[in-house]
Amino acid sequence: MKLGNLGKGIAVAAAGALALSACTAQSEIVENTTISVAWNQPLYSFNSSTSSGNATANAVILYLTQQSFNYYNSDLELVDNEAFGTMELVSEEPQTVKYTVADDVTWSDGVAVDAVDLLLNWAALSGYYNEVTFADVDFDEETGAVTPQSDVIYFDSVVAGTAISDTEVPDVSDDMKEMDLTYTVQTIDWQLNMTGAGVPAHVVGQRALGIEDPEEAKTAVYDAIMNEDHDALVKIANVWNLDFDIVEMPAEEDLNLLVGNGAYEVTEFVQDEYITLVAREDYSAGPAPSVETITVRWIPDALAAVQALQNGEVDLIQPQATADILEALNAIDGVTVETNDEAVYEHIDLNMANGGPFDPATYGGDAETAKAVRQAFITGIDQQEIIDKLIAPLNPEAAPLQSQQFLASDSNYAAAVESNGSDQYGQGDLEGAKAILDAAGVEYPIDVNVLYALGNTRREQEFVIYQEQLAGVFNLIDGGNESWGSLLGTPEYDAWFFGWQSTSTSPLGNEGIFRSDGGSNFTGYANDTVDALYDELGSEFDVEAQVELQKQIDAELWADAYGITVFQFPGVTAHDSEMTGVDTSALSPTIFWNYWEWGIPAAE
Amino acid sequence: MSTTDVAAKKPNPVMVWLFSPMNRFVARRLLIATAVLLASTFLFFILAANAGDPLEDLRASNQRNREELIAARTAELNLDQPVVLRYFYWLFAALQGDLGNDYRTGQPVGEMIQQASGQTFKLIGFSSIAAIVLGVSIGIISALRQYTGFDYGVTVVNFLMYSLPSFWVAVLLKQWGAIGFNDFLADPTIPIVALILIGLVVGVVIGAAVGGKWRSRLIAGGIAGGVTIAVLETMVLTDWFTDPSLGPIVIAILGAGFAAIVTFLTAGFANKRALYATMTMAALGVVLYFVFDLAGIWLYTGGVAVFGQLVAFIVAGYVVGLLFGGPDKKVSALGAALTGGLVYGLLWLDNLMSYWLPYNQTSAINGRPIATVGSSTPELAGNTNYWVGVLDTYTHLILPIVAIILISLAGYTRYMRGSMLEVMNLDFIRTARAKGMPERTVVMRHGFRNALLPLATIIPLDLASLVGGAVITETVFGWNGMGRLFIEALREVNINVMMGYYLVIGIFLIVGNLVADLLYAVLDPRIRVEG
Repeated sequence: MKLGNLGKGIAVAAAGALALSACTAQSEIVENTTISVAWNQPLYSFNSSTSSGNATANAVILYLTQQSFNYYNSDLELVDNEAFGTMELVSEEPQTVKYTVADDVTWSDGVAVDAVDLLLNWAALSGYYNEVTFADVDFDEETGAVTPQSDVIYFDSVVAGTAISDTEVPDVSDDMKEMDLTYTVQTIDWQLNMTGAGVPAHVVGQRALGIEDPEEAKTAVYDAIMNEDHDALVKIANVWNLDFDIVEMPAEEDLNLLVGNGAYEVTEFVQDEYITLVAREDYSAGPAPSVETITVRWIPDALAAVQALQNGEVDLIQPQATADILEALNAIDGVTVETNDEAVYEHIDLNMANGGPFDPATYGGDAETAKAVRQAFITGIDQQEIIDKLIAPLNPEAAPLQSQQFLASDSNYAAAVESNGSDQYGQGDLEGAKAILDAAGVEYPIDVNVLYALGNTRREQEFVIYQEQLAGVFNLIDGGNESWGSLLGTPEYDAWFFGWQSTSTSPLGNEGIFRSDGGSNFTGYANDTVDALYDELGSEFDVEAQVELQKQIDAELWADAYGITVFQFPGVTAHDSEMTGVDTSALSPTIFWNYWEWGIPAAE
Repeated sequence: MSTTDVAAKKPNPVMVWLFSPMNRFVARRLLIATAVLLASTFLFFILAANAGDPLEDLRASNQRNREELIAARTAELNLDQPVVLRYFYWLFAALQGDLGNDYRTGQPVGEMIQQASGQTFKLIGFSSIAAIVLGVSIGIISALRQYTGFDYGVTVVNFLMYSLPSFWVAVLLKQWGAIGFNDFLADPTIPIVALILIGLVVGVVIGAAVGGKWRSRLIAGGIAGGVTIAVLETMVLTDWFTDPSLGPIVIAILGAGFAAIVTFLTAGFANKRALYATMTMAALGVVLYFVFDLAGIWLYTGGVAVFGQLVAFIVAGYVVGLLFGGPDKKVSALGAALTGGLVYGLLWLDNLMSYWLPYNQTSAINGRPIATVGSSTPELAGNTNYWVGVLDTYTHLILPIVAIILISLAGYTRYMRGSMLEVMNLDFIRTARAKGMPERTVVMRHGFRNALLPLATIIPLDLASLVGGAVITETVFGWNGMGRLFIEALREVNINVMMGYYLVIGIFLIVGNLVADLLYAVLDPRIRVEG
């Protein structure tokens, strides 16, 4: 952990230095340095913005081969990368964002990165020109696969329908370095909606329109988008959707699919085995890496990764954490092991709309009584016992998660916990729970039908522990089910516990869960104050103010005894002790986030 | 009556062949098999569709457009439609040769299976053959030495291996065979205690296998153990583990040994011509060792050239055998051809060894040659040297191969032992012995061949089911073969992939079953196929 903090310190310093010295960035590659990283799932698409290509397996490799306007550090702060370009909020009403690509930023084939790349990325992500929605797309009727569209424009964007879709056609400056994007609906996530250049526009143009010269191809893409050239856009969309899905080194004529603008370029790509990336000499678009070659080897089995590390075949691993894996790692000499929190957090939700014990309707519409029952429930839960029994063996530093809004590694977490009123809950205070129920005049024990993932060992153990913790006050009925996912929110269950996976730190990340009309609101929770706070948050651009609003929402949720958060999933990272600069972030790309700080002694 | 009338009455030979009992049998079996396959795919589809929730990852995601993503995948997989209807969608596409796509990656299932089965064949092909050859040999010796210490020993070890969990074997193999061996290579010395222990084990095994009187067993075991210790110590002292080679002397000794064994098994020492023929090949090997070295022939060798040279050696052996002539010159030819192949193997191995040290010293290997995962060393990808390529392949293959052999060896050994015992107690064996036939001929020609019959029905089925992959071995060694493909698909409830896998495995099993039946009919004249 000491090493981790040191690493973070360097990261912040490096990020600061970077802003000052963006134009002086130069190659610092150390010859004959190779780092081999184990990852569990192979890359299968060089376009991670399509609905099928959107996966961590792709994102971690693309993080090395594509640069962007910003990235997350391990404190989950968004760091601007001005060496690649800038993203500025020019005006709030109407909301306009100016993207500027830094000078000298090039694709690995030498073509300049410019606003046309941004324009294509926008056109694809927003689905602005899409003539059909997903429901109407041509599917292969029997297999259900998306087939190339013959006469309609359809970009299969993973973010279709989010804020990026509420935009107008951007303005591109004459020198092709700047792009102004205007939103028709305000979005505070403007820094997250579109963070990079996506796939190279000239390659898409070459492949879709059959133009050989890269500059001409790029111009053709620009014209097609600006003039809404139907036939060209159909072809462009098909290339964007499907061409970049490759699982091995492409043939000579398709090598342009590998073109990237990041620190590394692909030199070897063997299906299901490994991908080799070599640092680019002509790279200035971000922090300069020092390791010459990074090989990512795909090893699905956690113990296999551990033994490969021990045998020197890989230098850095982040296997799925189990007690056995941790024990095996700790037994190896010359390996540094660190445990950490992951971005998945376990939580118990209480159903407030099923006529059960947590629903006001049960008490003749008496919301206060229902709330008291919920409070009693989360008062009786003992988070620490769960941590001690299930999580601490994997992450000795694990602590109960006390916020519905922030992950523990978030720099705002501590302040939020202080003010959200969560401290009285999760202590295993069964007497307190009884007192609350007595005061509310509710008889106990109360039957609670609990849904969880049957077949998942940790969750099965969790259920038994909760059952014992609450015995006498709440009688937990085992509602474990293998298809729990589709049963969330069904009236049969009074409570459920599972893990939410965070994919960004957007303040609005949990909006769909807690809003009364949210798409993931399974509990029937409805609080006008929370809805109003989310409305306010949705148009609040000041980061400080955003955090304040989130804290207020968090406090509301705890005050309403919405449910309880329990723990973050534990993770483990291990590396050859000769390798330096290893740090991990809770969010994707986890161990890869600071690859430019990695170092290893050069081979003779 | 005109001649044309006669011709008309004669049954059409094509039709006769078409409706021969054999073909009727095959057709009927195929028909039934297809029906079974169809019914089982339906059953499997229902099971697979209920194996879990393909939307699970999305349900636990807090992405902003989670609803849209769920709707999209539901539409893609037709999740809103009844399972039975989805089965028929799948079936009609499959009948047209379209196995659908992996919903997660968009990859066509057909291509995925092609890739995965290639890996599986590479991994399992060699180890299956090795397991069969080894299992058959041990089974025969065990049967011939029934109720001896060796037999009991083999039985105990067999049951031990049979009951070993494969993930455990694989992990231990990696710990000792790769990590431990690589550590040993850093400082290749064997402690005295270990040396003596190894010698003892070898001595006991050999002594038990030889059979006969206690005295002769003791002598055989003692010599074997002593030689083992001496050889190992010499290897340590000469730094053999760091820079191994065979050299002309070892090639000569081993070549002569091979020649003797081959002669004993095929013709018997009484057949002097056969012995001379095989010995000639062994001598030829030593001569060619120098010729190859001087002419630098190995330097330009690639895979094709090696195969060509092997064939040339085998042919040369055959010719040598024929040249020695005699009444059963074909037996001599066979023995000499076999010896030729083995001797070429020695020469090849010797040259392969000369690449060991440079291979080991490359920065990619860094003195740790035996690998625990994958099928090649990434940093060596640019290598075009045939020998380095072979070394790299086998340093990756050796552990999974040993794991599979250890696990599947027991079955073959037991089958072969049982079958051999049964045959050796039959009347015709007694008759053969009563006629005064040499024991070698009785065992090899009459016993062994007939004992192989039951095995012929097991092996095709075994090979067919191996296509299904060795799930655990593949997982532990990081091979992305068929077993791995299926497990991953099951985890993601990737129904197209699961169905593609099931279909391929089903077809292989049906064909394997049919081949086993037909093979049995061909090999065993007592069995007749009827339509």
